[in-house]
Amino acid sequence: MSFEAKRCGVQFSPPSIVLIYQQKETKDVRKRIIPVRNFSKYSDCSMAAEGLKNHPRHKDYLEGVSQSQLEKLHIILRDHMQGLSLEHSLASFRLDPDEDLNQLDDDKLARKKGKMDELFEKNRKHKDDPDFVYDLEMDFTKTTQEKCSWDEESDDGF
Amino acid sequence: MAGDAGSIPELDQKKYDSGEQVKIICLGDSAVGKSKLMERFLMDEYRPQQLSTYALTLYKHTATVGNKTVAIDFWDTAGQERFQSMHPSYYHKAHACIMVFDVQRKITYKNLANWYKELREFRPEIPCCVVANKIDADLKVTQRSFNFGKKQGIPFYFVSAADGTNVVKMFREMITRAVEYKQNPSDFMDEVLQELENFDLEEKEDPEADEVGLKTESPELE
Repeated sequence: MSFEAKRCGVQFSPPSIVLIYQQKETKDVRKRIIPVRNFSKYSDCSMAAEGLKNHPRHKDYLEGVSQSQLEKLHIILRDHMQGLSLEHSLASFRLDPDEDLNQLDDDKLARKKGKMDELFEKNRKHKDDPDFVYDLEMDFTKTTQEKCSWDEESDDGF
Repeated sequence: MAGDAGSIPELDQKKYDSGEQVKIICLGDSAVGKSKLMERFLMDEYRPQQLSTYALTLYKHTATVGNKTVAIDFWDTAGQERFQSMHPSYYHKAHACIMVFDVQRKITYKNLANWYKELREFRPEIPCCVVANKIDADLKVTQRSFNFGKKQGIPFYFVSAADGTNVVKMFREMITRAVEYKQNPSDFMDEVLQELENFDLEEKEDPEADEVGLKTESPELE
């Protein structure tokens, strides 16, 4: 029994996680609707995501879906329960490279970190990967030449 | 404020005076990857101690430098950077500092100047480095030269907490420098802070004493 997750989303009513997956052997593409139970507008999205990821009935299907994505989907559901629009939820995940994240509260910062984690997980080398090197070194001193535009305004101590 | 230095009850910072105890602090904006770097370096050893009251996370590590075994406490912020400034006890008795920015966010690079300024107010001489994190997002950034490190005369590292590039090298070099500094310190700041602590104790006897008085004293002591 092996499944490949294709797409994952939410359904507001009743609150559910929707998964489109392919059965690897038969190549059948199917939809699985996972109702989100015991979840309210006050729930902890990170714990809910972890619970779902390890759920005995769903975990085989959700293997290819990262926990941070599941957390994001729960945040969308919770925002909806709190009366916030989908546009609002999606905008809260968007990364603006010029935004000062020091100014955000815990919840808002967690949304940005969740977004950043997607790239982190994608590029992450795990200890169990066959090509994992603990002390990986690369010398960039020879390639560094180009001046960085970030250094241009020199009035602030740079 | 400076009078509070070293007064976190769970943390007796006097231990950092002993030969085998080293304190290394991390500085930088929110979400630049400070904790991720710690986790990548420590791997299985990774057992953080959360002191949420102080918005602080401690990571303990044992290393061998030369033929000596040293116990290292890495101090990481847990949201304290939100106040754009760290509590003086964060800097107190630190032997080295790792400053991190995110190569995808210019503002985190620009803010290094503020972090560095604050660091040097408390620790004028301790070894410090600049770490450009998240190079896995776009390796092209490694062709650019970021001048901040050069300008301040401190080492610069391109690293990735995700794929591990140069993380271990950076930490090992900083540990060595922290131990060297400890063996041959050139900061008088510890003595100054000691003076401030004594001063604070005297002041406390006077209920009218104004904490602001301490702050105005400190610039003269530099």
